[in-house]
Amino acid sequence: MPEPIIAFDAVTYTYAGTDEPALHEISFEIQPGEYVAILGLNGAGKTTLGLCVNGVIPTMLGGELEGTVTVGGLDVSEYPVREMSKLVGVVFDNPEFQMSQMSVAEEVALGLENAGVPYEEMKRIIPDTLELVGLAGFEERSPLGLSGGQQQRLAIAAVLAMKPQILIMDEPTSNLDPIGKQEVFDMAARLNSERGMTVIVIEHEVEVMARYADRVIVLDGGRVIMNGTPQEIFSRVEELAALKLRVPEAAELATILRTEYGDWDGPVPITTEPAVAAVNDLLGATRD
Amino acid sequence: MSMQAALPVAMIPGNSIIHRINPIAKLVWVVGYVVLAFSTQNIVVLYSMALFALLLAPIAGITKPLLKGALILVPVGSSLLALQIIAPAVERPWTPVGEIGPLTLYGDGIYYGFVLLGRIVASLLLALVMVMTTHPSDLFTSLSKLKVPYTLNFMLAMTLQLIPVFQREVGIIMSAQKSRGMKGKGFSAVLPSFVPVFVGAIERVQQLSISLESRGFGSNGIKTSYRQVRGRPSDWVIGIVGALALGGLSAYSIWRGTWNISSDIVFSPLFVVVTFVISATLFFGVVLFAVFLSLKK
Repeated sequence: MPEPIIAFDAVTYTYAGTDEPALHEISFEIQPGEYVAILGLNGAGKTTLGLCVNGVIPTMLGGELEGTVTVGGLDVSEYPVREMSKLVGVVFDNPEFQMSQMSVAEEVALGLENAGVPYEEMKRIIPDTLELVGLAGFEERSPLGLSGGQQQRLAIAAVLAMKPQILIMDEPTSNLDPIGKQEVFDMAARLNSERGMTVIVIEHEVEVMARYADRVIVLDGGRVIMNGTPQEIFSRVEELAALKLRVPEAAELATILRTEYGDWDGPVPITTEPAVAAVNDLLGATRD
Repeated sequence: MSMQAALPVAMIPGNSIIHRINPIAKLVWVVGYVVLAFSTQNIVVLYSMALFALLLAPIAGITKPLLKGALILVPVGSSLLALQIIAPAVERPWTPVGEIGPLTLYGDGIYYGFVLLGRIVASLLLALVMVMTTHPSDLFTSLSKLKVPYTLNFMLAMTLQLIPVFQREVGIIMSAQKSRGMKGKGFSAVLPSFVPVFVGAIERVQQLSISLESRGFGSNGIKTSYRQVRGRPSDWVIGIVGALALGGLSAYSIWRGTWNISSDIVFSPLFVVVTFVISATLFFGVVLFAVFLSLKK
């Protein structure tokens, strides 16, 4: 087992000015190159968890942090966010709130400028990064003039330019239309598979997570209550329903069919193709 | 929503000689203009400065937007002249030159009125030429080269960015309030939208600050700049010539004790009356138009 890139050890966090902890005794590890989905209702602590990874909690937001968060071997509470930014890139749900520059190129350049990257190098990195997120040729456009999906991909480019090892996306597609969502998830999957980037996605889109994620962590009331492969997690349809969480429709369908046709066994399909195969088998069985 | 549409005064993209001048050289001229405008009372100098700024417009291809931006001068200029004619800002005794209804018109203040107007016209026109031909990022990059602190620079740039965003947010909130039956007329409709706009602004700024910090904003190491602003020899010449000419004229003006040439110019009573009628009409025209617009909504 290689050294985990992210390790939470009994982390309890309380925001400044509140009594109720937002995270309770959270412990888990993430290996380099993993694609992890974090599920949970609003208020379950997903965003808080994300902010712990790049050190915004506790260095920027204060509050009370117990336990340790170790990222890339560094204890986040001991390093300023600007140091962690070399390791962790974070993208938030509202892309427009993350734009601060007059042009797309300058938006991408911001992190590089802060890191003191020489001009010649920036001139190479910026078009490459924009190419990667499918925004090649947008250099001189105003970020405010882009569509939601383009803005979100620009926000991602702005952190990718800094070449972090970990990309955290906090509900990156909640403001996007279906095409925009697809663009963002495809890109994250590419970064994960082609570049070995560790990706953490905080999402409600269970279908997408079932397809891409290596692992799913379910939070409820600030506690980790499930942690496993999408296959393991999404098979527990009743438990997730009790938490008011959605499961992929394929899994839901399969569970209903299983209740109807009792003796059908095998793993619960969580994506469309296995579900189709399973239903086909079932139809074949009933026809006989 | 593009910047151009949202801001009344914004950069007009182009590649003219004026556009290509280094922002600092332009800044030297604007500062020089303001210094000279406020150190002289010579209307020939003031209106030559205004004319020179105006002549730059066709070269930069910004004549129309410049004149549009300069419309702001109509209410300011007309009220200034009209007031100087009915209540001169010079020592009594004043010489009456005519009467319109209850108002007595005097010729003594008109020279000073033209000086005040000339100062504003000259400074504003050149400032507009600069703003309309300089990319804001280039200006901020140049300023940071002049050791203007990074944070201050960023604040200036950010403000420019946020104006259109907030304009749009006010629009959205006002529509939401109207759709819930709130009366929507004039300033009284804008006022209740302030609270949601400010709350939204705080949320936006908090998220932006986290996003910026996550990209190393607060790093105290050496920062580099993506925008490269060149200082060619011609820029140096333009800057130095501007500094010398405008600085020299300012110094000469101060040496001559504001270089006031009012004693050489005699305004005929008819000229004073006509100027008053025109500027008063313009001023009340603007006021009436504004009232009409706000009632029409």
